[in-house]
Amino acid sequence: MDYITIALPKGKLFKRSVELLEKVGYTAENLSEDSRKLVISNDETKVRFIITKTVDLPTYVEYGAADIGIIGKDVLLEEQKDVYELLDLKYGKCRLMLAVPEAMQKPKITDYAHLRVATKYPNCAKEYFDNLGIQMEIIKLNGSIELGPLIGLSELIVDIVETGTTLKENKLLEVDSIYTATARLIANRVSFKLKFERLHKLVEDLRRVMQEEGK
Amino acid sequence: MASKLLQVPYGTRDILPENMRLKRKIENNIAETFTKWGYSEVQTPTFEYLDTFSASGDISESNFKFLDRNNNILMLRTDMTTPIARLVATRLDATNVNRLSYRAQLFRYEEAQVGRQCEFTQAGIEMMGGAGAAADAEVLALAVNALLEAGLKDFTISMGQINFIEGLTEQAKLTAAQAETVKQYLITKNVVGLEEVINENNIDESLTDIFKELLFLHGGEELLAKMRQKNLNKKSLAAIENLQEIYDLLKIYGIEKYITFDLGLIRDMEYYTGMLFEGFTAHMGYSIIGGGRYDSMMTSFGKPLPATGFAIGIERIMLALERLEDAKKILEFDVYLGYAEEKLAAAINKCNELRAAGKTVCMAVAPESKELAKETQTKQKCRNFEYME
Repeated sequence: MDYITIALPKGKLFKRSVELLEKVGYTAENLSEDSRKLVISNDETKVRFIITKTVDLPTYVEYGAADIGIIGKDVLLEEQKDVYELLDLKYGKCRLMLAVPEAMQKPKITDYAHLRVATKYPNCAKEYFDNLGIQMEIIKLNGSIELGPLIGLSELIVDIVETGTTLKENKLLEVDSIYTATARLIANRVSFKLKFERLHKLVEDLRRVMQEEGK
Repeated sequence: MASKLLQVPYGTRDILPENMRLKRKIENNIAETFTKWGYSEVQTPTFEYLDTFSASGDISESNFKFLDRNNNILMLRTDMTTPIARLVATRLDATNVNRLSYRAQLFRYEEAQVGRQCEFTQAGIEMMGGAGAAADAEVLALAVNALLEAGLKDFTISMGQINFIEGLTEQAKLTAAQAETVKQYLITKNVVGLEEVINENNIDESLTDIFKELLFLHGGEELLAKMRQKNLNKKSLAAIENLQEIYDLLKIYGIEKYITFDLGLIRDMEYYTGMLFEGFTAHMGYSIIGGGRYDSMMTSFGKPLPATGFAIGIERIMLALERLEDAKKILEFDVYLGYAEEKLAAAINKCNELRAAGKTVCMAVAPESKELAKETQTKQKCRNFEYME
């Protein structure tokens, strides 16, 4: 039997993903986020884990370096990779939203046209503004997006929030919600064909576990 | 800007001698198979008017367009089915069954990857004027035979039926827009998206389950039997019976072991109206062959005719074969012929003799020592060695 390679993202989805996979029999010794090993295998159950940087995860799956992976829908929407989306795992819920400094609030979203927007999600932001029919100057940052308006790099931000505390601390106001995202189980196109039986069973088992937990 | 002098345009590639020999061999084997089954080769222009391609429905952003001197919009062909439909409608006797084949360079603006370039080669067939399961079975059997003749051993053809899915969306009373969304999610295999559409609507529970499982409905003949037990509408049931009828014929052709059913299968060409299929081989990310029935396309060209066909992606077959070791065997010429000083005339005579006997021969361009000639033999990738002294 071939190995099934599972890509797991570093960060907030990691712990819950490991727990969930363990419940359906997919686990390996020393599977932890700060493992120095890059590939962690379980030779008995023929499972291999790789732990990747969040934004790179869909790429690993797209190219078949991993058969499946768990990743936030926000990353999938931003990266637009050719992967199959097999299951909504419901955890890791977060929201992509548009925020402005409290002092800058305007009556309509379209009133913000042509201003500068700092974001880690330039593709999603562009699509959102395109749909509104307004042009913006989008500035791609890789972190600390809320810093943008504070130091005059941008007027607005498009960013992911979970609770909204960071926004309040920085005197930012959410003016529109763009989408809500949760963790997804994704699969490589070929793996879905070639390892269909095992992946189908995995999806069914995960569905069952989630249903039982939901009760 | 850096000069483009030494670059090839994005998504295009050169094919070097070894690969080209493999490519031609694959193409020729496939072409011979097509002839054996009674298909005649045709050629159509590399570019056509955009209007011709719009008739088949799908004008995506992914084509290369340009203008002629009268400002008509032209485009490089993105597939061969549309040009052949035009050809049959305008040039051939459409009251006959026309069995046509082709090999052609096609152009689509795609994100270039291994096996997925902007310029690529397809070999395929179209059967215009053939309705019913017998025509579909012939096309599938020819598909399997062509792949076998091309040198592939380990491959699977997944077969589906568009009416099965359309029957389901009709039974679920989805709006046209929702049905379109469902199709998109089936193409991208987005199980989550599919579930969301289903949950948004108040659909009969027995149907909800089929929708949720749609992307996992893979299997053999038993899957068809299982579907007959479900509460399906006429259209979906007829689709299942159609697949059964085709499958029964494929058993007579003796190729059923290559066939599985994938009832959630949809292809990203919009023109399919019945049975449709895709073929896969191990370690290849993309389908190596695709086709199906497209009965409404000829209507757009003014000659309503049933039609069915398929196209094989030649570069993808090459990749699959290169991964098998077999490919190496055809990389060589039969003979390398070297010669000593003053022996050129003898060498030419020997070459003539060998070539007349059907050997492929590579002759030295200048006299060389026997030792040097041996080295050149290896460089020139020739199997055997001859030396005139």
